[in-house]
Amino acid sequence: MTRPVRMPIPGPVSHDDSAPPADELSDALLRQLLPRLRRFALRLARDPVSADDLVQSTLERALTRWPGRRPQGDVRAWLFTILYRQFLDSQRRARRYARLLDWFAGSDAAAPSAEREAIARSSLDTFERLPEAQRALLWLVCVEGLSYKAVADLFDVPLGTVMSRLSRARSALRHLNEGQPGEARLRILK
Amino acid sequence: MNHRPIDDLARNAFVDGELDPEQQQQMQAYLRTHPEQAQELAGWQRDAQRLRASASQDSLPPNPALDPTAVRARLRTRSRRRVAMAASLVMALAIGGVTGWSAHDTALANHVLPMQDAMQAYRLFASADAPRPDVRANANDLQGWLDDYFSHAERLPDLSASGFKPIAARLLATDQGPAAIVIYENAGQRATFYIRPPGPGNQFLPQGSRRDGDLLARYWSGQGYNYALVTSGDGAASQPLPLPSAVRS
Repeated sequence: MTRPVRMPIPGPVSHDDSAPPADELSDALLRQLLPRLRRFALRLARDPVSADDLVQSTLERALTRWPGRRPQGDVRAWLFTILYRQFLDSQRRARRYARLLDWFAGSDAAAPSAEREAIARSSLDTFERLPEAQRALLWLVCVEGLSYKAVADLFDVPLGTVMSRLSRARSALRHLNEGQPGEARLRILK
Repeated sequence: MNHRPIDDLARNAFVDGELDPEQQQQMQAYLRTHPEQAQELAGWQRDAQRLRASASQDSLPPNPALDPTAVRARLRTRSRRRVAMAASLVMALAIGGVTGWSAHDTALANHVLPMQDAMQAYRLFASADAPRPDVRANANDLQGWLDDYFSHAERLPDLSASGFKPIAARLLATDQGPAAIVIYENAGQRATFYIRPPGPGNQFLPQGSRRDGDLLARYWSGQGYNYALVTSGDGAASQPLPLPSAVRS
């Protein structure tokens, strides 16, 4: 018979100790975190130029906000949060703009983004085919090693929600990877 | 058998290596009896490794615009520009306010009809039952008398071509100083020449004319004074009076 395994909530363990809580948002600290921010932005925006734009506006916002709203804990998680929100804002703006164009032109101005979606779908990298929220979640947990708590704060959802979303995202990625030639294997049933 | 004996937290924490040794052992024991789940979680771990590998393969060309020093400098420039813009905005508002207020003043002053006092003086002093004038004499005397009060004013207009001759004059007072009315007569018809200092705000008049009831006033400015020729509309309208430009020498 199955014996349920009950797990206590793991503490916010960081895989990476390079970013201790800082008193000052120093240039050195920012330079150290810059590649991580750029990589995360690249995974979200899927385009190097808009990714760097995203990083730039993130840095500007972080430097402007630091005196008044410095984070309690991990500076890195704080920066990722700013970046992710900036990304969502830019997405929203783009959608609004597309709707506006649509309305004025009477044509299907949303077509380019559908086209991009199709390109992304055919991309070799299965990760790129995931929805943006799943991409962000998987990246922050698997690559950046952010604590579940920090990720919950970033998405502004309860911890339990993060855990179920994480399972769903991992299943989705698994499903996509199984379709890949290199990963093909026989699975009769789950 | 289909119910989930382990929750999402345990599964993910196992994959991410967040379990403490004891939990890890429990989990491994569980997975030994559940190969399907073990296989799934192993797949999750492979995917995570693959993701980490892709991160290290990213080629990030250096971008000097993203250097914190550059970003800080840009922010400083922007805030300076914002302060400058705010200052110029305040300046523009101040200038606009002052200009607007003085324009408002000018508009108020303009609202007073030009040479209304000349009209009233005609009604008072050129009517049939007018009070006795100060001076009653010929033209030369009148000019001398006028010069005593209005030193550099224009000469009395010569209306003799129309048959009008100055017969009397009277000194008046305005807010801005002395004014005078000179009464001309032509066979019972009267016309008046009115001279006064410029009105409130030192306003000089553009050349023009205005009708008020049965009176017609032509007015103009020159030599530091405002002038008006007032005639009664009925008779004098047919009698062309010399234009002020012709009056001015």
